[in-house]
Amino acid sequence: MNRATRILLPLGVALLGLVAWHCGVRLVGSDLFPTPLEVAQGIIELAQAGLLLKYIVASLFRVTWGFGLAVLIGVPLGLVLGWYSYFYTALNPILQILRPISPIAWIPLAILWFGVTDAAPIFLIFLASVFPITVASCAAVHNMQPVYVRAARNFGLGTLALFRQVIFRACLPQILTGLRIALGIAWLVVVAAEMIAVNSGLGYLIIDARNAGKRYDLVVAGMVLIGLIGLGLDYLVRQLETFDEVRWGYASNAR
Amino acid sequence: MSLRRTVLFFAIGWTVTVTLLHGALNLKVFAPKTTSTEANLGRIGFLPVTCHLTCPVTDFINKQQQESTFQPLRFNSWPELKEAYLSGYTKATFILAPMAIALREQGVPIKIVYLGHRDGSAVVVHKDSAIYSMQDLRGKRIAVPNRYSNQRLLFFRALKQAGMKPEDVELIEMPPPDMPAALYSNSVDAVSSGEPFMGQTELDGYGRVLWQTKDVWPNFISCVLAVSEDAIKNDRDWVQQLVNGIARSGKWLDQDMDNRMDAAKFVSRNYYNQSPRLLEFVLSKPPDRVTYTDLVPLKPDFEEIEQLGRESGILEGTAHFDDYVDPSFAAEANRLSAFDWKAAE
Repeated sequence: MNRATRILLPLGVALLGLVAWHCGVRLVGSDLFPTPLEVAQGIIELAQAGLLLKYIVASLFRVTWGFGLAVLIGVPLGLVLGWYSYFYTALNPILQILRPISPIAWIPLAILWFGVTDAAPIFLIFLASVFPITVASCAAVHNMQPVYVRAARNFGLGTLALFRQVIFRACLPQILTGLRIALGIAWLVVVAAEMIAVNSGLGYLIIDARNAGKRYDLVVAGMVLIGLIGLGLDYLVRQLETFDEVRWGYASNAR
Repeated sequence: MSLRRTVLFFAIGWTVTVTLLHGALNLKVFAPKTTSTEANLGRIGFLPVTCHLTCPVTDFINKQQQESTFQPLRFNSWPELKEAYLSGYTKATFILAPMAIALREQGVPIKIVYLGHRDGSAVVVHKDSAIYSMQDLRGKRIAVPNRYSNQRLLFFRALKQAGMKPEDVELIEMPPPDMPAALYSNSVDAVSSGEPFMGQTELDGYGRVLWQTKDVWPNFISCVLAVSEDAIKNDRDWVQQLVNGIARSGKWLDQDMDNRMDAAKFVSRNYYNQSPRLLEFVLSKPPDRVTYTDLVPLKPDFEEIEQLGRESGILEGTAHFDDYVDPSFAAEANRLSAFDWKAAE
């Protein structure tokens, strides 16, 4: 597939989708559900009020810290769990109990512990992303070829060096896939996390617009912005896969 | 560049940039502190509904006169507002009267010190529907905000007056902001909540008021101002100042229509983020749709709420007026006159 096709094909499909959306609204004759044009005007209105950048930055800030903390804790935890079977036996059930609990269910506790500050949504985003990261890192160790470790042992590597130089590197491709999924989840829960009364963010924009009467154009604007930024974030993480340290782990024709 | 250096470089650069931007744009940490004491003022929770209108009005006028005594904190729904109060993050809060009573029954140290408003709710049906009386609602689906909302109790009372039983209708819980869309799409047959969500359906031309609260339950109370017992014990002056401000702004709102129109403008712009036209509509059509005077908590009003609460199964009946109301602040506050303040032209 050449470069032009790779860009034009998805753009064309998106354009068709927009036209279908517009015609659908016109056909049904709803004056509550906005057309794409009204949504675009809503976004322009936000930009003119100076809110667009503020809200995007606020959401990115919370996702950055929540996801960042989840990576710092989840990856080492996952590697340790994957390597030491005692840890795995002891902690895995707890992990599997906590993992399916939606961040929305944690909202009351987040408010009790952190009040109505930025820490509460960061905590919720952290919770949503730390489990997928841990599980992916742990599974990566389980799937690792034992020959790497045997070779490292023959060279007389200590435990710390073994983790840093062999296990981590061998697992990197699978960990990155886990991070990519976790980042998607972290960005996904931003609306739920911002239900707590922080007064900024794209999730807040959606909830605030619902309170503002007939501003469903802003609700959909928030949805569109979250989607587009999610696309951008995924693109950034995917760039990591072009490095040699990671690329060996994927089939050569994957890209 | 190697993977590690790229990742470190980008991760640190990204985090620092986003954090600094957030600090500058949203938290305003770099802006010169204008009111350095504001963070230390007690926080008060409220929702963007007309039942809580005196909270932003008091704050706005206080700020104009440079004597802020509290920090208003806007929530978007009841559970979060309640949880912030329970965790002690907000010292006082506007809250549904039956919810405050239920919290008291569950041992929460909460005291009602003043009322938020009187009236200010309606039952709205779809304009084209054939519903013109309570009898027509038989077997229909009606949305109310919350099981602890007074709108639900109001409905129980209206059913009783019409000689109907609660089983004759289907009551479902729904957040008020979602009600206009639900009525528009005919997913419910009637909706009932505080303003401005009912006025919204009228203004947009698909809602018809079946009845206003004042027709069924005159002097209806839905929200009250509640304060923690701790604040009453240790900070009486602060509570008194707060109640005074709320009382004075209530009288200011009911003084004349100009004040209400000014309030609609500055509240919708600075606090509620709603269309000013909407607030103007619900505050003026008709003018007694919601009122803000006569807000001293009285025993008979609450006894009626208690009884309806017991009948509808949300209250145990273990807490009574003296347990959950502290009327000592209202008397002094009610003697004060309206705020002496006019919006500049």
